[in-house]
Amino acid sequence: MRLTEDDLYRTSTQYKHWSFTPAQLADQRKTTNISASERVKQNVARKRAAKAFDTPTASDNGSGVDTNGANTPLRTVDREVNCLTVAEEKKLVDTFCERALELGTFLNFPTEVTATGIQFLRRFYLFNSPMTYEPQTISRTAMFFANKVEGAHLTLEKYVASFPKATAEQVLAPEYLIVQGLRFQFQVRHPFHGLKGGHLEMMEMSRGNAEPLPASEKTKEEIQEELFQLPRKPNGPAQDMTVKQLQGRMGNAYALASKILKGPAQLTDAYFLYTPSQIWLAAHLLADEPLTLFYLSTKQALDSPLLQKLLAVIRECAALLSSHHSYTSDQTSPAEKAARDKAEKEEVQKLIKKLKQCRDPDKIDLVKLNQAQKRDAVKSEDGGSGLEESKAKRRKLGREKYEKEADEFFGPELGKKNVAVDVETKGV
Amino acid sequence: MSRMSRAVNGAKGGAPEGGGLLPNIRSLSLSSPSKHPATDPSSEVCPVCKSGTYLNRNMRFLVNPECYHKMCEGCVDRIFSHGPAPCPIAGCNRTLRKAKFRSPTFEDLKMEREVDIRKEVASVFNKKQADFETLRDFNDYLETVEEVTWNLILDMDVEETRERLRKYREAQKAQNSSTTRRALDHSQASDKRKGATQRKALDVSSGNTPEPFATNREDTGFSFRGLIKRKTPEPPKSFDPFDGWSIQPQYHILQDKYDVGWMTAAGKDANHSAGGYSMPAFYSQVLCDAFSGFGVFVEDEIKARETQASMDAGVGTRNAAMAAQGTKDVNMDDVF
Repeated sequence: MRLTEDDLYRTSTQYKHWSFTPAQLADQRKTTNISASERVKQNVARKRAAKAFDTPTASDNGSGVDTNGANTPLRTVDREVNCLTVAEEKKLVDTFCERALELGTFLNFPTEVTATGIQFLRRFYLFNSPMTYEPQTISRTAMFFANKVEGAHLTLEKYVASFPKATAEQVLAPEYLIVQGLRFQFQVRHPFHGLKGGHLEMMEMSRGNAEPLPASEKTKEEIQEELFQLPRKPNGPAQDMTVKQLQGRMGNAYALASKILKGPAQLTDAYFLYTPSQIWLAAHLLADEPLTLFYLSTKQALDSPLLQKLLAVIRECAALLSSHHSYTSDQTSPAEKAARDKAEKEEVQKLIKKLKQCRDPDKIDLVKLNQAQKRDAVKSEDGGSGLEESKAKRRKLGREKYEKEADEFFGPELGKKNVAVDVETKGV
Repeated sequence: MSRMSRAVNGAKGGAPEGGGLLPNIRSLSLSSPSKHPATDPSSEVCPVCKSGTYLNRNMRFLVNPECYHKMCEGCVDRIFSHGPAPCPIAGCNRTLRKAKFRSPTFEDLKMEREVDIRKEVASVFNKKQADFETLRDFNDYLETVEEVTWNLILDMDVEETRERLRKYREAQKAQNSSTTRRALDHSQASDKRKGATQRKALDVSSGNTPEPFATNREDTGFSFRGLIKRKTPEPPKSFDPFDGWSIQPQYHILQDKYDVGWMTAAGKDANHSAGGYSMPAFYSQVLCDAFSGFGVFVEDEIKARETQASMDAGVGTRNAAMAAQGTKDVNMDDVF
């Protein structure tokens, strides 16, 4: 009844429900896109039919001047809805993940909170399309919700105040929706802790204190000696470093790897495809390849099949991380970067414009949708479910009265009087 | 003929006149003359001061369990308020104390006395059938108890019986206290063996009657056959919240201390340690996280999982079909 680190990871929901093969991931995105665009087309067609049913009467009885001007976009009626493609959807989600990252930095959220929020967003949009739920609102709520999940206290008022135009209802409305979309699985396993652990162990190795694994044939002194001679670049000349130099090198590698984990690792599919341990090792590999390879060799013999396989996976992951445009390696010049950013911005603007044309008309007003599920929902115009107005009003009155009384010193009156009040309101 | 059977005969034939009874029993009924028993309780007369209830309606009669002689409350106050005094009834020279006087529960004082004796004996012999291996042993025990009781009631070998009772009571007390339990158990075991041989010898000597009064070297007063040994309950095991599961790191060895600048400072910060933050807990978590999923290859494992799932698909579809037929959801419990 002993568990290894791997067994522990296998018990997590991230492994059980949120890990995919690349093929699965692509399939899932395709399915989501197809079903969402079908729904959008259907709902738009229905809305248009309803409108077409109304408009003839409007044009019949008058000069066509409508009071509310709802008839103006008549020309668009017959145009087929141009839905987003899978790639466009992914691009949009990635963009809003980036914005969420910026939001997290702007509001000084802890790293974990921002990362969790971004992963929630990515997970949510794996099974939902931006066409159905608008990424802007969803990401706002996801970030607020991530604060709760990671145990960082933040009041709704304070959070809402940091947005120029957002209300508390708007933030809260999609909350349950997101939770459902996440299948009530809140834990996200991040690689940040792992990186810290690895760094700690490497620092101990540099001091010659780290106890080697029982399977390893090297002693701790040998490990230290080899670390001193580690080349700077892969296949570079051997060096002879002091402890201080070596630790400085490790510190740099840690800083760079941590930067990669906070940026590209969040903005790519790395969390879906790899385990946190592999992600931090990949980031560390990008930061300092010889050091990472040496560290791995202290864990497993270099020619063991496990390590060979692991190395292949880590290199794959590193390639994914470095493929993201936010990964600034030494090669990209500032001018190049600025040009790339500009092109990116234009593309995104175009996409957002396109998204506006193909929103699911049923899911635009999330606040109203949310209210419809609550107790005091006022009956919607199109005959949706809801309580009768009088009943809702009576309840509201009763509740207000109760709240007022609860503020009094000895609390509200017990049962009898409330019943009397109820009868009174009924009489009215 | 054993004493026991005699006693039973005595009990059965115990007519008020008590012709076959011993003289000291007869002396019990001194207060009310047995020749013409008091049919009318209102006309009772105190044997000491001769005042009767005829004159004093509120008169109370008291007895002392020492000799069970009845006398009125006034006489008790008068004679015994200055300390212990001999019983005023002629022929009874027992010393009585005022504190022991009480009003009798039963009109028949013989009954009163028997109940008292039984109460006393029962406080010493309080074993149940569950304490014995066989019913036969329990019955033997009950017979012994009854014999002791009748010995006391009929005033036979009173001194000896009381002495044995006292010894037995002490032995029981010692056995019940946990410190001496084991030692006594051991000695009892040897007693039992010895008791058995003695019993056999006595059986031979006194015909077929079993003799449960086997005296032994330790002298606990009585010893009984077939008593179930009392087992000391096992000390409770310490609680394991993980039910035997533990974490066995495969890829790292946890050290007591990691010395990295920024972290050492945090570990020494009183603001952290006051809140219960411990560095070793941080080390173990961080290192475990560093390697959790180290050897987990998501792509391979998911493919393996899927092939496994497709093998189970037959069962799954059958379940789904059954669920579709039934109106209720399989997974959710229908509350209403």
